Amino acid sequence: MADVTLQSVSKKFKKDIALDNINLKIKDKEFFVIFGPAGAGKTTLLNVIAGLYLPDYGDVYLDGEHYNYVEPEDRNIAMVFENYALYPHFTVFDNIASPLRSPRYKEPKAVVEKEVSRVANILKIDHLLERDISELSNGQRQRVGLGRALVRNPNVFLMDEPITHLDAKLRHQMRAELKEMQKNLDTTTIYVTHDYLEALSLGDKIAILNEGKIEQIGTPDEIYYYPHNEFVASSFGEPEINFFRASVTKDNQLSIFEEAKNQPLPETIKGYVKENVTSVKLGIRPKNIQYSFTKENENCVECIPYSFEPLGAKAVLTVEKDGNQIRLTVPSTLQVAMDKPVYVQLDVNKAIFFGPNKMNLLSKYREDAKGEVVWQN
Amino acid sequence: MAKLTLKNLNKSFYKNREAIHAVSDLSIETKDGEFVALLGPSGCGKSTTLRMIAGLEDITSGEVLIGERKLNDLHPKDRNIGLAFENYAMYPPLSVYDNISFNMRAKNVPKETIKKEIDKMASLLDLKDLLAMNPSALSGGQKQRVNIARALIRRPEVLLLDEPLSHLDGKVRQKMRTEIKHLHNEINCTTIIVTHDQLEAMALADRIAIIKDGVLQQFGTPLEVFNHPQNEFVAGFIGEPPMNIFTVFATFKEGSVYLVSKNGKLRFNVPDKYKDYLEEGKEYRFGIRPTDISVVTDDQPYSTELNVTVFENVGEECRIHIKIEEDNILSIVSEEIYKLDTGDGIKIKFDSDRIHIFDVNTGERVEKQKVLI
Repeated sequence: MADVTLQSVSKKFKKDIALDNINLKIKDKEFFVIFGPAGAGKTTLLNVIAGLYLPDYGDVYLDGEHYNYVEPEDRNIAMVFENYALYPHFTVFDNIASPLRSPRYKEPKAVVEKEVSRVANILKIDHLLERDISELSNGQRQRVGLGRALVRNPNVFLMDEPITHLDAKLRHQMRAELKEMQKNLDTTTIYVTHDYLEALSLGDKIAILNEGKIEQIGTPDEIYYYPHNEFVASSFGEPEINFFRASVTKDNQLSIFEEAKNQPLPETIKGYVKENVTSVKLGIRPKNIQYSFTKENENCVECIPYSFEPLGAKAVLTVEKDGNQIRLTVPSTLQVAMDKPVYVQLDVNKAIFFGPNKMNLLSKYREDAKGEVVWQN
Repeated sequence: MAKLTLKNLNKSFYKNREAIHAVSDLSIETKDGEFVALLGPSGCGKSTTLRMIAGLEDITSGEVLIGERKLNDLHPKDRNIGLAFENYAMYPPLSVYDNISFNMRAKNVPKETIKKEIDKMASLLDLKDLLAMNPSALSGGQKQRVNIARALIRRPEVLLLDEPLSHLDGKVRQKMRTEIKHLHNEINCTTIIVTHDQLEAMALADRIAIIKDGVLQQFGTPLEVFNHPQNEFVAGFIGEPPMNIFTVFATFKEGSVYLVSKNGKLRFNVPDKYKDYLEEGKEYRFGIRPTDISVVTDDQPYSTELNVTVFENVGEECRIHIKIEEDNILSIVSEEIYKLDTGDGIKIKFDSDRIHIFDVNTGERVEKQKVLI
């Protein structure tokens, strides 16, 4: 039972700014994902919450109490590491029981047994309790790592990329299992990852961190459909979103390519394009671009195929237009002749619009909200 | 014209007086200008094979040929093969220009010729701005481009790439993959790539050789191995998210074939043609890709009703997971975005043209004829 609040937290390592004015409010029982590329400051932020780092500036609150100077061991926060950090010579039971037997808790035997079996039940590892760690698969080890964190009934769970280094197949399965487990946990969880699938799938809320700053905080739907800026848009989705520069004419028409017909600005956007703005950027996801092999209408733009990469049922077709690459998602059975043109049609109604400052035109960045993005629609 | 042929290639090591067969009886024939991937989990012998082609490893038995020329006893430098290593292996004090031209300078090629060749390579791989830089100033993707340029400048008959993308992360990796594919379309040099990433192999190669424990499992185009895996290993290795595979029993009723999962929870009808391949009452391994299962609303033939265990919405698609056995989850990937939650009942239907049935003991596919690609 705990909510976590961070107020203008900053942290420097010598000259490098690791965290720059971070403001977060994590509600009780929320599954909160911190997403960002390598070196964004995700783990530093987690360590500040755990108490392993003291912030240079700003405050950490747990349930409204000021926690900056509370020792890590007194915070009742449990951490699950990327590399599990299990005791290799202990059995599963002893590994899970180890926090309860520590000098700090020294729980009686009966309590230890009850707690371990409770946790093992949730994690479905009750049949493995007598095994040695070396006999377990990676997925099972991960669950033991979770179990050891769970057994203390922590206020907050911190998970630092717990499944990132598993191979793609196991990750797919573990993600589903984590999500199932999460429903039974009822504990505030802060989860760090650089995998956008994990973020979208697991998070109740996602904070996107880049170079120590928060780019956006929102629910998975908000992040995917209304990215606050170009960075967020390009971080979510594979293949990456395509950006096109378009000029706005006086009569509210959009011109993306010279050879294609101008398209009217979508109604939803009209009010947000200021009068003196002559150029906007459009973000269109690869699956929303139409293609054909003949010029079907005057919206079609002729492109040169660049590469065709089948990935199973789907394939990525990259085409080139005026030196810029456009990525499309197509069925892998599509026959593409690399020496014949591909015609591409852009539908501005499926586009996300970005202004000159790389910000989504629809979003308003409220300075006084300290990093939170307010949507106007 | 460079056609690379591997004939009954073998490699054994001796460890504690026991022979370990790293590569057993590997035969692969590439066409001229083909892009072939050697794909398998770590330790399957794919890198050993590459090193035998390059001449860095002795060949226990078998032959490596380029065209009609036997390479077995040739020195690596005489094989006319370009090799790009995983870890770049560049000379740190030399500039990019000097790194790429190192070989030609060692052979006393005239300066003007070197310049001409490097200019050509630079425009092909987009290196113009990097030529004067030192390797330490380059990013991972740039280093790999220089690395490939250095292998290509020798005008090799065969280009070998050893995990060229595995050191790069996320977006750079995807960009580089597209670059390599494009490059191959431009130069059309016979290329062998070694990788453990099935997506990479599918995206790049014309044909993929899947290797497990030194033994070739299947050699075919990306769509062939994806749609028509020869055995259970290939079926499970290719595709992301992985294929759903579980054990079933075959039962015949009123002239139709039904498959029933071990605990009886899943029971479905398969097309009649499987009568010829299946035996009543026998166990089989059944496989279906997550993208070949659809959620249906009305009663349709072959549909089954189940409860959702976990639901994921990941933007482009949604993934539905259903626990069918204690340790087995059936995953469904749908482009249509549903709004579901744990416990919701849904009806699902398997695309009966795209099911895979394997023998429970040998793992071999039961029906050998090709499915539609």
